[in-house]
Order: sequence, then C-alpha cells, then structure tokens
Amino acid sequence: MSTLIKLSNLKKVFSTDEVETHALSDINLEIKKGEYLSISGPSGCGKSTLLSLLGLLDTCSGGSYILNGHEAADINTKQRAAIRNKEIGFIFQSFNLISELTVAENVELPLTYRKDLTKTQRSELVKLALEKVDMGHRTKHYPSQLSGGQQQRVAVARAISGNPSIILADEPTGNLDSKNAELVMALLDKLHVEGATICMVTHDPRGAKRAERIIEIFDGRIVSDSAVSQVKPEEAVA
Amino acid sequence: MNMLSDINFAFRTLVKNPKFTALTVFVMTTGLTLCIYMYSFIQATLMAPLPFDAGDKIRKVDSIYNGMEYNGPSVRIHDFEDLKKRVQSYDVFDAYKEGTVNISTSDRAVRYTGHYVKASFFEISEAKPLLGRLLTDQDREPGAEPVVLIGEAIWKSLFAADQNVLGKKLRVNSIQKTVVGVMPASYRFPDSGQIWLPFTTSRKGIARADGEYVAVYGVLKTGVTDEQANSELKTIMAELEQTYPKLNSNKSAQVRTIQAALMGNDTPAIAFSMELSVGFILLLACINVGNLLLSRAFEKGKEIAIRTALGAPRGRLISQMMWESTLICFISGILAILFAGLWLENTNKNLLSIFPFEPPFWWNVALSESSIIAAVVIICVTALVTGLLPAYKATGGDFNSALRDGTRGAQSKSAGRLSKIIVISEVVLSCALLLLSTGMVYSVDQQNKFDYGAQVEGYLTARIGLPEIEYKSNEKRLQYYQSIRTTLQQEPGVEAVSFTRTLPGQNARFQNISIDGVDYGKKAQYPSSNSVTVAHNYFETMEINLLEGRIFDPRDKLDSPLTAVVTQNFVKKHFKESEVIGKRFKFIGTDKGWYTIIGVVNDVLHGLPMSNNIEKPTAFVSLQQAPLRFMTLTIKASQDPVALRATLARITLSVERDAPAYNIKTLRAFITERNAGMNFVSELFIIFSAASMVLAFSGIYGVMSNTIIQKIQEIGIRRALGADNEDVFKHFIKQGLKQLAIGLVIGVPMGIALVTMMEKASLTQGSMMLYIAVPTFISLVILLAVLYPVHRALKLEPSTALRYE
Repeated sequence: MSTLIKLSNLKKVFSTDEVETHALSDINLEIKKGEYLSISGPSGCGKSTLLSLLGLLDTCSGGSYILNGHEAADINTKQRAAIRNKEIGFIFQSFNLISELTVAENVELPLTYRKDLTKTQRSELVKLALEKVDMGHRTKHYPSQLSGGQQQRVAVARAISGNPSIILADEPTGNLDSKNAELVMALLDKLHVEGATICMVTHDPRGAKRAERIIEIFDGRIVSDSAVSQVKPEEAVA
Repeated sequence: MNMLSDINFAFRTLVKNPKFTALTVFVMTTGLTLCIYMYSFIQATLMAPLPFDAGDKIRKVDSIYNGMEYNGPSVRIHDFEDLKKRVQSYDVFDAYKEGTVNISTSDRAVRYTGHYVKASFFEISEAKPLLGRLLTDQDREPGAEPVVLIGEAIWKSLFAADQNVLGKKLRVNSIQKTVVGVMPASYRFPDSGQIWLPFTTSRKGIARADGEYVAVYGVLKTGVTDEQANSELKTIMAELEQTYPKLNSNKSAQVRTIQAALMGNDTPAIAFSMELSVGFILLLACINVGNLLLSRAFEKGKEIAIRTALGAPRGRLISQMMWESTLICFISGILAILFAGLWLENTNKNLLSIFPFEPPFWWNVALSESSIIAAVVIICVTALVTGLLPAYKATGGDFNSALRDGTRGAQSKSAGRLSKIIVISEVVLSCALLLLSTGMVYSVDQQNKFDYGAQVEGYLTARIGLPEIEYKSNEKRLQYYQSIRTTLQQEPGVEAVSFTRTLPGQNARFQNISIDGVDYGKKAQYPSSNSVTVAHNYFETMEINLLEGRIFDPRDKLDSPLTAVVTQNFVKKHFKESEVIGKRFKFIGTDKGWYTIIGVVNDVLHGLPMSNNIEKPTAFVSLQQAPLRFMTLTIKASQDPVALRATLARITLSVERDAPAYNIKTLRAFITERNAGMNFVSELFIIFSAASMVLAFSGIYGVMSNTIIQKIQEIGIRRALGADNEDVFKHFIKQGLKQLAIGLVIGVPMGIALVTMMEKASLTQGSMMLYIAVPTFISLVILLAVLYPVHRALKLEPSTALRYE
C-alpha cells in the first residue's frame, strides 16, 4: 500500500496572550492508502487537533505534513480548499449539517464546490451516497426532522459523496446512542471494506478496536501505535 | 421580589455590556427624540386650540377661486353680506379688513399693519386694552368721531409710552383721528396687527365688480360640525354663482379653523409626511433594537435552557428578558424627552427666523402635558415591541439540544428565517423612508435653485402705498411713479428702477379670463390667468426675455387701447401655441375692456416653485394704462443692493411724505423668506434622512453581520467541505442579494408611492437620480454588511470556525 499521509516532527502550539499551549509535539506518523486507523486518548490530549491538521482545517506550527506527495506548508488557501473538497471527507461528532438545507442539499454541498461536475452528475452522486447509508428515502427532509443517528448517516453520506482519498471522523458516535452508534460504525466498516482510508478520532475503546490500527495520544504525543490484533482483549472491551 | 431581582439582573447585564447598551440606547434615543419632537411640534402648531372660551368654535371663511384656495381678505364684501343674511350655522358671522396704514407725524411717516374691525372681533378674541377702551360698533356709525386704537409698539415709539395718550390726535392715512385706547403687545389676533380702526366697508353704492375684499370669521353654533358649515356655505356660494355668473363663476368658499387657514392647505400633507417619516424612523429603530436583543437572546440560549431545566416557567423567562428592553427604552425615553425638549426650546426661540410670518400668539413650541403623555405611551409601546418578540422567540427553542451539545440545531433555522425577515423589513423601511426624505430635500433644493424666469440677484425691493385721498386720479399716480423713478435713477449705484404689482416668487392675482371669439357656454367655465401690473421697463429691468412681438412702450397710454404681454404658458394654455400677437382677451369681473396681446415673454414664476404655480399662465398689463395705488418698487443695483436702503427710504419720503417705502429688502431675501417654511421642513427632512441613513446602515449592517456571526460555524463546515474563500463570499452575497431584491421590490414602489403622493400635493419632486441613488446606497450597505463580517470570519482557521459559539 502506498503512503497517503506522512507526518514528521509535527507540532502545534496555541498562543493566547502570553500563554503558549503545546497541543501536539513531535508527531511522526504514516498513513497508507486503504488503512483504517483510530486515534484515541483522553480528553484534551490533542486528538481533534491532529485530525484538524490532517484535514487541513488548521496549520501546524512546525514539522512536516505530506499529503499525497504534497507538502501541506507549500499549499495555498485555495489549494487547501480544493484538497479538502476532493481528497478528504469529514464526519463530525455533532454532525454539522446545515439546518437550512435539506438532506440532499447537505450531501450535495461539497460537490457544488467542484467546477467539473454537472447538476446531473451531482444528483447521481448524492443519490448513490444516500443509498449507501440507507437514507435515500429522506432526501427532502431537513436535519431537524431526523434523529441523531439519521443525521450522522447523512453526514457520512456527505463525507463519501465525492469519493475522497481519506475519511476523517471526529468522534462520529459521540452524540449517538449505542444502537445508532453501532449502525454508524458498521457503515464505516463497510466503507473500509470497499477500500476507503479512514482515520477516526475516538475515546471509545469499542469503537477504536474496529480499526486496524490504533494510535494513542497523551499530552500531545503519540504514546502508542499498534495494530488491533496487538490490543489486549480486556482493553478493547473496557 | 422576583421583579426586583429581574430588574437588578437586567441592569447588571446592561452594565456588563457597555458597547451593546450604548448602541441600543443611541438607536432608540434617535428614534424616540425625532418622534417626540415631531409630535410636540405638530401639536403646538397645528392642533393647539385658540386660548379663548369659544376657541374651538372660531372659524375662518375663505374663498376658493378657480380651484385655488385663498387666505386673508378673499371674500368680496357683496358676497359676505349675502352670506351673512343666509347662513344659519353661526352665532357670530362677521368680517374685518387688513391693510397697511400710514401714520404721519411732523417729522416722519411710518407704515403699519392695520385691522379694520367690528366689536365682535374683540369679543370673540377676549381682547382687553392696556389703556382706554376697545372700538365699538358706534364708532362705525356715519358721522361718528374718527377714532383709532393703537398697539403698544406705536404707543411707545410715537408717544413715548405717555399715560395721557388717550384723546390725543394721530394723522392716520392723511386723516386726524383720536386715540381711544392702547392694546398690549401680546394681543395678536388673528395675526400681528399694530393699529385698529372701525370697519366701515359696505356694499352700499358700490357696484358688485368694484366691491372690496374682506376677511370673514365666525363662531359656529354649538353642535354644528365643520362639514355642515361647509356644506351650507357651498350651497349658498353655488346659488350666488347662479345669480352672478360673470363675477362668481368658479367661485366657492370654505370654512376652516384659523390655525389651518394660517398654515395653508399644504400643511396637513407636510405634517403627514413628517409623521410618517418619524414613524418609519421609530419603527426602524425598534427593529434594530429588537434585532440586537434577539441576537443576544439567542446567544443566551444555554442560559435560558439551564433556567428552563431548573423549572423557570416561560412567562417568568419572558418577563425577565423584557426588563432588558424596558430599561433600554426607559433610559432612551428619558434622554429623548430631554433632547426633544431642548430642541423644541431652540425651535421656539428661532420661530421668527424659521417662518416668513410672525408666529401666531398661541404657538408655544414646547413639551406640553399631552406631548409627555404621548411620549410615555410611545416609550411603553416601543419597550413592548422591542422586547416581547425577542423574548418570546428566545424562550421557545429546543432546550434539550441546547443543553446536550450546545449547538443551535433547529433554532438556527428559525433564527435564520427571522433574520432574513428583519433584513427585508429594514431594506423596505429604509428604502421608503430614504426616498421620501431625500425626495423632500431634493425638492426644496430644486426650489431654492429654481429659475424664476427673471433675474433675482442684485435687486432691492420695497412696497409703496399711495394715500387714497391725495392719489385718486390716475394721472397723479403716474406722476408719482415717474418722479420716484427719475429721482432714484440719478443716485449712484442705481442701474434701473421699475415697478410691479407682484414680484417673482410672489402669488399673483389669479383671475378668470375670456378669450375673444371663444364661447364659454351658459355655465361660463372660464379659463384663468395670473394678472400682473408692471411698468414699461419692467422686462428689461428684471431681464425677462421678449420672445415675440414687443414689450410695453409709450404707445401704451391711459387713453390708448389696452395691451398685454403674455408668457409662454399663457400661449400654450389658451391658444395651443398658435399665433397670438393681436389676439384679444379680457378679465372677467372687471369693468376693463379687451386687452390686445402685443408680446410674448418667457415664463415668470409667481408663487412658490411648486408644480401648480410653475405651469400657471401670466398676463402682464401696463401700469401706464392701470396705475394702481399699491406697487412694489424694484431697483436694479450696480453695487450691493442693501447699501441703497437708506437712499430708497429718503427719496420716497421726500417725494411723498404720506407714502413711506416699507418692506424694504433685497429680492433674494424676499424669496428666501417666502421659502423659509419649506426650508425649515427641508432641514427637518435632512435630519430624517441622516437619521434614516444611520439607522438603515447600522440596522442592516447589524442584522447581516449578526447573521454571519451566527453562521461562523456554518462557514467552518463549508470550508471543511472544500469551499474556498470565493465560494463562501459568493454564498453570502447571493443570500444578501436575495433579501435585498425582495426588500427593494417592496420598498422602491412604496417609496415612489409616497413621493408621488407628496408630488400631488406639490410638496416633493421625484427624481430618477434618487430612485437610483437610494437603492444603490442600500445595496452598498448590504454588500459591506456581508463582505466585512465574512472577511473576518474567513480569517479564522476552519477548525476554529467549527468550534465557534
């Protein structure tokens, strides 16, 4: 498998007034195409910050981040937007659907930023994505008319609608009950089986164990990087 | 207890947010100050009752001729006496006459405004003399001793406030009269009279056509309405029209209050437009403040959710939130009353410079009891309007989701819809208000720049009134005018001297005319025209251009056939632009014969520069053929005309001791004075325009930027999904333009309708420039209100925007 993401000595510092907070330090990580990894750790350890950097939603304070052969520091704002649009699919804990748009419009939203797709092509992709998450029957509903699980399924459809190189999921089941959480996780499993690269932030060990590889972060540093088979069964179910 | 703690909480909240408090108080104070000021001003000038027992029943009767409403002495004495015999609606129905009065002493002569009155005039106005007695009806009897009642000013200036003035003699209009009383300076009914003489005008022995014009007043019987009185009057006038078709054709009359007569019939429309404007401004202020409160209420979503979770009933939450708006309106209300009071006081002090006439004695432009009550009502309603909706909306959200994750969820959608409605309302109101107020300002500006058809700079003008007794013959009058002209023209700085009955900008006599050869049928529906008597050299002096034929010259003499020079409008209206030189017309209701048109000049405006006056035709007739006793002298100066004042006063007095020049002023000053009322209105509208621009800008900007701030998270989502800066700008500009388009589609026609309504009353003038400029201004505000907050939001990293709350 070829390398999709390579992080070398990556760091992120937040500065407010005179206080500097080192959110991430010396992060070295490689993610290969088709991999399914989870990033876990306690609250405030830097998981979401790492995901934001991976998703080009933020810029690092030092080190190197190479995405698909491109050094992130050399990419301008416009190119970053284009990469987010084509290469990355996001799934957020709080769904982040736009309440004023219907289900179909929400899923179509990232596609509307592409100049190479016609309206028909977009509709086709939306239909396909919604069918994958079994939400094809709710296209005209608004997010407020859906349950949390359904909203997250729509968010997954939105993330995959443009066939991204990687799906970045930030606590995708954090706002869901166990039944809906299982449904969403099964959906991610299915996407992985179909070839998607998935990087998921979670502090739920049951969710983490579904990945092939688990990265553990503590105080902004990677403290463990292991394949799921190496995870002790008692940790996985704890 | 709850209420006290709620007030305390609201107060603390306002203190904690000084910027927000200052902004809302500023917006509210602006709206309320304008509203309270306007209400009080209109109450004091238009609605204030006369301070007499019968004050609410005193009416004025004025004639309407050819659709034009006259004020002052406008009823022919014959018509008045016929009316007096027939009217049933009045306890008192009488007349008085106004006129200038010459008072001559051994060393000088001075011109005063005099009232020729009956006893009832003093009775209804509850007059009390300072010294001596009032005039009685016995003083009007033939053979009675000639008496005069003088004002305090004359008593002080001519008699040095002599307590023994009663019984002393005064030469009034060349006749010795005995002073019987002194009136206090405060007595100014119905306007500023300085001397009172017995009313002796009668129809006896005078042909109807030669009847003098008098001012008619009445006291309505208890229970009689204005509609009934007007209906009776119109019926009698219609009967008189039947009886005297030549003199009374197209003539009617109307009953109205003295206040309404004084302010003119345009005033209610002006007052309406002012009230409408301040109403819009207050509404705009309410929307702005309401929106600011609403945004804050949504920001407090979590706090409200916690309170709900703790068991606070919705009513209590609403009342708690309402206190914030109540405190803002209360503080703004106090400030507004204070500012409006100061502004009114300043207006009251400057009334003399604001209006072209001495303000009526019953005017007291100040905060009255009724104004304060109205202000309190306005403040309470405003507090309710600005507070209730935000409180109601903010307490009606999904508290569960707010508590669970802090996202705005479904509430954002309704808040978004509400924001859109608010922006659209702001655009509609701002557009209508700006079109109306700038239209008004533009119209007055156009009036001030108006081309009167004659030169108006560099002239000194003065009224001349020749004593009736000495100047009965036409020859003597002509001799006087010739003498004045010859003497004045020899003075340095004088380029030319001429005479006119009516100056440019002044209302001319608008008379019925009959064109030779035209049959007007039995109903005698005659056309009409301004009639202006001028000296031969008037056109050259005033730089009025001759377009066809000739102007007056020595051929137009007293005994030669009557001639007239007409304006282009006269030709257009009465001859459909065909050849007119040599054609004839005559004035209806006079004993003059046919006038032959000898020339056509450019249009000259008589009256205020409003559409109905601009289109009026004018016929100039020669002073040489109709020498009047009262004329206006115009001096074309080769230097500053004001420097010629003393020369003018000296020479007129030297030529005729009993005919001093009065109302000496430059023609520009005369025109400015006439436009003073409209300029005052314009100044108010400039304030309205400025206020509406500030409110529109702050309101639209506030709502739009608030909307965008509330959507920073959405901006984060869009950027996470691949939207670049351009896409985000495009999205919000598109949204803003949608709201702008809806707002303009409603607001522009609404504004144009208001301007058209005012145009019909000749108060304002629509302008394509404004119809483009106002929507452009609003579009720019919208664009700025979108671009700047979006630009700021885009400065955040997408990850920060996603977490933004």
